[in-house]
Amino acid sequence: MHAVSRPLELRLLLPLVILVPLGFAVTHIAQTGVLDPGPMGVAVGYVGLMLGAHLALRLLGNQGDQLLLPCVATIGAIGIIMLNRLPQDLLGTDAFGVQFGMATTQLLWFAIGLSAMVLLAGRFRDDGILRHYKYTWALAGTLLLVITFLFGREVNGARLWIFLGPIGFQPGEAIKVVLVIFIAAYLAEKRTLLADASARFGPLKIPPLPYLLPMIAIFVIVMLVVVVSRDLGTALLFMGIFLTMLFVATGRRSYVLLGMLLFIAGSYVAYNLFGHVRVRVDNWIDPFADPSDRGYQTVQALYAFGRGGLFGEGLGQGLPTISGRLPIPALPTDFIFAAVAEELGLIGAFALLALVMCLVFRGLRTAMLARDDFSAMLAVGLTVSLGLQTLIIAAGNVKLVPLTGITFPFVSYGGSSLLACFVVVGLLLAISHRSVVDAQIEGRGP
Amino acid sequence: MTGEVLRILLLVLQLGFLALLYLILVGFSRALLRDLRSAEVTQMASQSGIGKLQVVESIGDEPALGTTIALGPINSMGRNVNSTIFIDDDFVSGTHAMLTFRGRSWFIEDQGSTNGTYVNGHRIDRPVALSFGDELTIGRVRMRLER
Repeated sequence: MHAVSRPLELRLLLPLVILVPLGFAVTHIAQTGVLDPGPMGVAVGYVGLMLGAHLALRLLGNQGDQLLLPCVATIGAIGIIMLNRLPQDLLGTDAFGVQFGMATTQLLWFAIGLSAMVLLAGRFRDDGILRHYKYTWALAGTLLLVITFLFGREVNGARLWIFLGPIGFQPGEAIKVVLVIFIAAYLAEKRTLLADASARFGPLKIPPLPYLLPMIAIFVIVMLVVVVSRDLGTALLFMGIFLTMLFVATGRRSYVLLGMLLFIAGSYVAYNLFGHVRVRVDNWIDPFADPSDRGYQTVQALYAFGRGGLFGEGLGQGLPTISGRLPIPALPTDFIFAAVAEELGLIGAFALLALVMCLVFRGLRTAMLARDDFSAMLAVGLTVSLGLQTLIIAAGNVKLVPLTGITFPFVSYGGSSLLACFVVVGLLLAISHRSVVDAQIEGRGP
Repeated sequence: MTGEVLRILLLVLQLGFLALLYLILVGFSRALLRDLRSAEVTQMASQSGIGKLQVVESIGDEPALGTTIALGPINSMGRNVNSTIFIDDDFVSGTHAMLTFRGRSWFIEDQGSTNGTYVNGHRIDRPVALSFGDELTIGRVRMRLER
């Protein structure tokens, strides 16, 4: 394992050396009204972490995609600037007798996430452990989910948290990755069988059920637990990932159609069965029916988008907190996109989405260049998980779909989510590295 | 007066921030474009086919270890020199197996060979659909199907 150079990655990372401190300074000046850049510890730490990750990838000899890290770093930069600009005592961790503010906590999670990413990208070479133990993975993931449901702590009506001492985490984020690994391994093995099946059910060609059953069984169990624990955003996300991967593996629209019909039926049942689903949907249809209570967050988010307009209120000049409280309670997590749109306007929000698109593009490119079906399916699933998550939460923010509580990848406050997203990028880097190395070996051959 | 100056300075800084953000985006788009162009060129150069076989184990020169065999839609494999994929190995039958591309997938079918055809170490007794990454063993030659 010898060191390599990653010149493009470095070149795209360097502007952050100016961007992040500039963002911190602007927000501080805008809020205090004095010409003083304010504390720069978090900004310097953030840029240092990203450059450190770049160096670590070089030293470990990863030759994978060079756009992934800069893309993630720029998306995360917008996030950390926004989080640093909000009152720091809102959320944060009080661990081991030390009080960490929101931005500092997030920075710590960035450090943990980047370490995981570098480790996967640099050391993960044999995917056999993922592919051959797929049922073990699926079982472990499901078990974790059930444990969370039984013993987890309820926050905001959804039981998603497990606390080990002072540190809480959301197992749902880990299960996202595990589920993708399982589906990828399963589909890579059975792909040809599924694609060539031709049993008929009315006008629809249906899959040969015996081959699909194990996958559907595990998927249904996961969905049930997720729905019962009221984590609807995650349920929607899982469904989207599952259908996309099935479509990519087989190229059959009928599967997707069937899945969507099932999903619509399921949504209808959930609407009638669960009160909290009804509240979400009613809020989506008309948030102004109850603007000061149930529709409050959605209405405030819409106002934020409206105030932002085309160019934004100006970084650091969004609506300040109302008597020490945020206008939108879930601003740092679910509504961070609304905050970005308010301060940077449509052009800022567009830049953020364009960066995510770039990330998705590179992920799909990694899948296309992958040498075997499992790596390709894994890359597709992981990429789609990031893209779809962004789509669902951004669409929820602008009231295009009912709001569901999931995070904006790399932007929202939240450790488990950040860690899971970095694991995804780490795996993508590992897959990408392998196809580059294989291509080189081939090129050298006789 | 100082308030006015500060406000203008802040505006300049805010615009600078957005400009820098877009400069970064331009950097990304240029990298993406360059990548797309080079992908186009390599694709035209290689006329990327439906698949290829990478020889991962072989005792002789035909096929030699490390070579890649480009595949057409129908490939006969065997010791017969007229085979599409000629395998010079005493353990291989004259017409050993057929490797065909149908619809979206590759299939391998044994042609009644003496020593059998193996997919990922398992001997096959009927046509078997292959995934990319699967390994074929014919005689003492092992090959991996790749795209």
